[in-house]
Amino acid sequence: MIREIVVASGKGGTGKTFISSNLAFFLKHHLNKNVVCADADVEAPDLILALGGVREVISEHPFYGTKLPVIDYSVCTKCGSCIRACRFNALHMGETGPVVDYYSCEGLGTCSLVCPVNAISFKDKIIGRIIVARSGTDLLTITGDLEVGESNSGRLVYEIKKEAHDLAASEKADYIVVDAAPGIGCPVISSLSGSDILLIVVEPTPQSLKGAIRLTKVSEDLGIKWYIILNKYNLNLEFSKEILKAFKSRVLEAVPYDFEVIVSYSRMTPLLSLKPSSMTSMALKNAFNKLLKVIK
Amino acid sequence: MSKIVTVAGGKGGVGKTFVAVNIANILVKLKKRSVLVVDIDVSNPCVFTLIKSDIEKRIPIKVFRPKILKDKCVLCGECVKYCPVHALLLIPAGEIIFIEALCEGCAMCLYACPYNAIVEGERIIGWINVTRDKDLIKIVYGELVPGSRQEGEVMERTLEFSKRYWDDYDFVIIDTPPGTGKAIMHAIKESDIIVSVTEPTRLGFHDLKKLHRLVRMISKQEIVVINKYGIPYGDYREIEEFVKSEELKVYKIPYNKLAIKSYFEGKPILEYDNSVKFKVLKELKKLIEEFLL
Repeated sequence: MIREIVVASGKGGTGKTFISSNLAFFLKHHLNKNVVCADADVEAPDLILALGGVREVISEHPFYGTKLPVIDYSVCTKCGSCIRACRFNALHMGETGPVVDYYSCEGLGTCSLVCPVNAISFKDKIIGRIIVARSGTDLLTITGDLEVGESNSGRLVYEIKKEAHDLAASEKADYIVVDAAPGIGCPVISSLSGSDILLIVVEPTPQSLKGAIRLTKVSEDLGIKWYIILNKYNLNLEFSKEILKAFKSRVLEAVPYDFEVIVSYSRMTPLLSLKPSSMTSMALKNAFNKLLKVIK
Repeated sequence: MSKIVTVAGGKGGVGKTFVAVNIANILVKLKKRSVLVVDIDVSNPCVFTLIKSDIEKRIPIKVFRPKILKDKCVLCGECVKYCPVHALLLIPAGEIIFIEALCEGCAMCLYACPYNAIVEGERIIGWINVTRDKDLIKIVYGELVPGSRQEGEVMERTLEFSKRYWDDYDFVIIDTPPGTGKAIMHAIKESDIIVSVTEPTRLGFHDLKKLHRLVRMISKQEIVVINKYGIPYGDYREIEEFVKSEELKVYKIPYNKLAIKSYFEGKPILEYDNSVKFKVLKELKKLIEEFLL
């Protein structure tokens, strides 16, 4: 049975990619499990960089995540129904008829439905790319890369997760590790839906605690069990106590921060590969072993 | 005319809010300028926790949700067929089920129903908060309701709402969430200058390049802040070469005791007595004097 673990955090920069890259490496190279990694932070995807970079691109294809309305002005009667129906203010009346503001358009198609003369059709639009690659540390990774300035990141995340499951099935994988986007919005909800467990990465700051609490609410709405990794705990021991108090037994482990973490980024090697017996690595292994116990 | 500044950063945790809050604070305290801070990191707005002031107004952000009139509904399934995000289901027991979490509020179902059995309802997806002016700072921040998927809409509406105050302030500083998506692009479009914050790591550099592509697409003036400059074993060469080849002006915020302390204590650097002697302040002052004033 394939288990899907999502790594997320309410606030950015707390160490999601650090944790997910090391978790994937641990499962594959310490426990000899079959793993598929999915980078669902589609606005800033860099999981594969933390996994040793791209060794080999296996496949790459564009993703048509949205539809754009095209108005046939030879048919349009300028009745304005489409403008009134659009909930995103993406249409306004121009000289020759309604004009679409493509930056506001969500591509859902209400305008086309209400048009009494069928003057509005749709064309597919590429909003990103999906890349399957093997990383330098021999991990199969599927990455979604959203075009700059695009919305609908949630749809790209859904597609990545779907393809990750197909890939996991054909590879007979035991685990899928999903590196989610920061925040609690659409791409994060898409990352969470249907997954087995959520690992929330927290750093000892009030901003991170606040974000994590908001994320636990989302997770509970979706009925997904969550656990906490307290990362960089030694950078603020006082506030780390607050985090422990807030999440109690849900905290799997407190992981210290040291400069080897940065070295591991710089060398594009997971810390567990670079310094497997450092303090930070030991804490990571503890955390992951506990995680596997609670996920069963 | 107020000057509009967007602080962005592709990667999370590089210090966007740190930079935005400190620039605002320096403008107010040392340059006696008034500042409106617009926080559109609606997943986790934090500016108001760093510049503490009272809430003056709290406005709900509402979007369409279908209200199904059971006495009119004949279970024809047209709404289900047309809903582009599959938020409506017709179950065999003979009922239309609405899944709120999937709804994007397009109102397609309202127009698709041939029996007028769906009417206009509403749903709160977020809040716009406005603080009282304190010293010379006002904050407008958006807040996404946990569980709602429409952070883009909340970001856009917060930005739009904030415009009514823009003319009253010397500076508008827009603090953004990590990423390079549509709402961030809108903020960039509205701005005179973009401050791209990054950190000297491979991941920071990778995401800076993506953000830079977005800023260049809209042809806006961009300056780069490399935060945490000096972390041992950081990746410096690539970033330095990149900003040089793209002819971007760079400011470096050193990774020193004051910067770390103020970040973890959640206080602007000016609130520390000894801040004048630290390079963090000197560098941000230089940025303000050379580009904002």
